Amino acid sequence: MPNKTLVRIDGQQLTLSNLDKVFYPATGFTKGDMLEYYAEVAPAILPHLSARPVTLKRYPGGANDEFFYQKECPAHRPSWLATAKMRRKSSAEATNFCLLEDRPSLLWAVNLAALELHTSLALANDAATPTVVVFDLDPGPGVTILDCAEVALWVRQIFDHYGLQAFPKTSGSKGLQVYIPLNTPTDYTETKTFAHALARFLEKKHPDKVVSNMRKTLRNGKVFIDWSQNNMHKTTVCVYSLRAKDQPQASTPLGWDEVITSRKKGTAEALGFNADQVLQRLKKYGDLFKPVLDLRQKLPEFGS
Amino acid sequence: MPRPIWSGAISFGLVNIPIKLYSAVKKKSISFHQLRRNDGCRIRLKKVCSTDGEEVEKENIVKGYEVSPDRYVIVSSDELQSLSPKASRNIEIEDFVELSQIDPLYFEQSFYLVPDKGAAKAYTLLLTAMRTSGKTAIARFVLRNKEYLSAIRPINNALSLSTMHFTDEIIAVAELESLPEDTAEPAKRELAMAEQLIQSLTADFEPEKYRNEYQEKVMNLIESKAEGQEIVAKPEVNEGGRVIDLMAALEASLSAAKKKPTAAKSGRKKARAQ
Repeated sequence: MPNKTLVRIDGQQLTLSNLDKVFYPATGFTKGDMLEYYAEVAPAILPHLSARPVTLKRYPGGANDEFFYQKECPAHRPSWLATAKMRRKSSAEATNFCLLEDRPSLLWAVNLAALELHTSLALANDAATPTVVVFDLDPGPGVTILDCAEVALWVRQIFDHYGLQAFPKTSGSKGLQVYIPLNTPTDYTETKTFAHALARFLEKKHPDKVVSNMRKTLRNGKVFIDWSQNNMHKTTVCVYSLRAKDQPQASTPLGWDEVITSRKKGTAEALGFNADQVLQRLKKYGDLFKPVLDLRQKLPEFGS
Repeated sequence: MPRPIWSGAISFGLVNIPIKLYSAVKKKSISFHQLRRNDGCRIRLKKVCSTDGEEVEKENIVKGYEVSPDRYVIVSSDELQSLSPKASRNIEIEDFVELSQIDPLYFEQSFYLVPDKGAAKAYTLLLTAMRTSGKTAIARFVLRNKEYLSAIRPINNALSLSTMHFTDEIIAVAELESLPEDTAEPAKRELAMAEQLIQSLTADFEPEKYRNEYQEKVMNLIESKAEGQEIVAKPEVNEGGRVIDLMAALEASLSAAKKKPTAAKSGRKKARAQ
């Protein structure tokens, strides 16, 4: 039998299991460490999870082992856990997603070995209205996060031109992601078309460095601007979520000055943070991604 | 591991043996998708009215039985539901017969029966008794709203179940035309030769000997094409035209901006970054 620990968190009773199990063999980071990280990062991550359908990416055997995506909130969930029904792609059936609204809900999900938390770009009660535009900058073979930094700055420059603010974060894996908060009426057709056009524009301008086509064979030596994440049926890793890599790294918000400095100095290591560093940064800077939650902006219109 | 597709119980006299039903066959046919030739876009089928060509929503489609040309009786799924056989969970053994008396024409689909929790003993009893007697059980059961006739027999240490056609589904030989009359009896010498040929080709049945060569060739073709990257990718978006328009607008608006640079703080940062 798995060893179980009964805990009381913010007034809810939770049974946590296998706290000693090593989830990151390279560093000895255990499931207990993972729960502790999420418990501490809760005040920062919860606003970004709140009211959004969450896809749990579960790694029952640890970060190096097999995983599966869970969209349907498990039936054995606690009675107090909030859920939201959403229509599935090309089907009349609905999926009942978990909503992680508070610390007990978050830790309950993490205890299911949901190492990674991926969220929809829209809120559950308004599924057709993305609140952000996302550019996922994915380095192909032969390029690094520093090349992503260069592309991120190009993306920022364009939005800057239209007077819109963009916010960078690490994916926690290999690349960077740039978020443009909208929080105003829009739809995925608008955000996706805009993101695609911008990706194509940068590809045309920097054909040796950028690719906008998702075909994998074209990525060698280039940064793939994945605009297709701007889709109702897709999810993107939530800020502050851990990632299943060798080290317990998390998707971490960055300041643009950090992106510029690392790019200039060639310090890729300055763009990767493990769980401890993320918590330290939070103490020092607060939530750099907070404006993504409430900054109201509109994509430029071109009289089309 | 195969997954059970149904669970129920074999009822055999007073004995009830809880079992799970597994398919005994894994179909290996290759399926293709339909794509548009020039760009690999997936083809979707639309249900349309044959008179006005308008698309008909799923909830507006009903079942009609053609009683005479262009005249239909509409039957609702509720009505059909009320007639469908009771979802009994029992495989009722009715008779035990000789397998050789069942023509293979009757067999439809094959399954294995595996004992459910706690049923191993009763299962083994039935299996052993059937092995000793060499008989095949004829049973009825209901699977997905349809009643089936079936034959149950031992295969090694398992029971197998083959669903069977009802006899009124089998087309009788007598219904065929242009079969030769019995009168034309073959010449003795020719018959002897044919029988000799049969004898020379007589062998044990070894299923491994026969392979689906067409399937293997198609799979090889697909694999070699996939390796050679001869792959047609799905087009990225259907709003391709709008993307291009928007891209042109972006380009125009950004190049216009370059001519009159602003002295914003962020502008300097950008310049450095480049």
